[in-house]
Amino acid sequence: MNESYPVVSFMGLRFNLANDLAILISCILIFALVFWLARKPTLRPNGRQNVLEYLIDFTNGIVKQAMPGKEGNRFGLFAFVLFLFVWVNNQLGLFLQLDVGGKTWLRSSTADPIITLSLAMMVLVLSHFFGVVFNGTKGYLREYVSPVAFLLPINLIENITNFVTLALRLYGNIYAGEVLLLLIRQLAFSGHGLLGGVSFIGGFAIEVIWQGFSVFIGTIQAYIFVTLSTVYTSEKVISD
Amino acid sequence: MATFGDTLFLLAAFAVLLVLVGTFAWKPVTKIMAERQDKIDSDLDYADQTRQDAQKMAAQREAELKSSKEDAVKIVSQAKENGEAQRQQLVANAQAEVTKLKANADKDIAQQRQDALNAAQKDVASLSLAIAEKLIAKELDPAAQQTLIDQYISELGDANGSH
Repeated sequence: MNESYPVVSFMGLRFNLANDLAILISCILIFALVFWLARKPTLRPNGRQNVLEYLIDFTNGIVKQAMPGKEGNRFGLFAFVLFLFVWVNNQLGLFLQLDVGGKTWLRSSTADPIITLSLAMMVLVLSHFFGVVFNGTKGYLREYVSPVAFLLPINLIENITNFVTLALRLYGNIYAGEVLLLLIRQLAFSGHGLLGGVSFIGGFAIEVIWQGFSVFIGTIQAYIFVTLSTVYTSEKVISD
Repeated sequence: MATFGDTLFLLAAFAVLLVLVGTFAWKPVTKIMAERQDKIDSDLDYADQTRQDAQKMAAQREAELKSSKEDAVKIVSQAKENGEAQRQQLVANAQAEVTKLKANADKDIAQQRQDALNAAQKDVASLSLAIAEKLIAKELDPAAQQTLIDQYISELGDANGSH
């Protein structure tokens, strides 16, 4: 991974192909996995179905923590797909990194702030949208001046900080992990001769350890991202 | 380097993924999960119902068993009473019968004795009369007398039916 990406312009929009490729691959992976897991569901679950049901219960649990009522049923599928999407995108760059001709073609898309900001934007736009759907325009607007009117600026700022922190927390964690992976890889290939062997073995060991830790971080961050998304949504959806 | 194209691509890809996962995985599996939930609920209800029925039936059976036990005790005691009464009846009957028989026998014996006595008296009277007749008729002839006596005696024996 380096900071040079293949970028194409199309109809005045600029596409970073590294991001798009990662998103495409992760979408295909997720769909293939979930489709395979969900084949021929039965009342007495078999092994594959158990895995999927466990995942569904897991994300439903996240949603129900924030929205215990029936409002939560609306967001089960969204939370499920969001969790899988963020999780797979967090892990993708740990195992697959592709540099061709000095340009990075594949790495975790969540290591790019534009992707995490897009995800956060999607979540927050949906939360505002469902805030209006569930509470009506009046109820939605009243949230900005509750509990008291002079908190309006703070409420407005909160919406922006929610958006920014949600995106940058994920971005920072994944980006830092990938940069460190790159640095360790460069360390492994840095020496020559005997020193090179030592640094390669040491670098290899550290790389493996850091990859394992990054899997952990990526999972935690996906969980946090989905949890905070549902919390922000519930703040809009559930009226006090 | 503003790459809004990535944002659009992400949103499009996410939307498509949402629809596909929803159609091919989420809907069937959550449907199955809901069905399972319903089945578990109904099974639990059914089990509860069955348990209550069984308890009711057990209580009923116990009550019936108790009443049948009481019935049995009653029947046995009644039979005992009946048997006792019958036995006493029989004994009383037998005693009465015996008494009657004994009385009859006594009466018969007395009657027979009386009859025998009467018959003997009659015989003796007629015999005495016959002897007196013969004595008066053949008084003067001792020889004849003797034969007469023998004759009477043998006649007497004939009359008594000893021959």
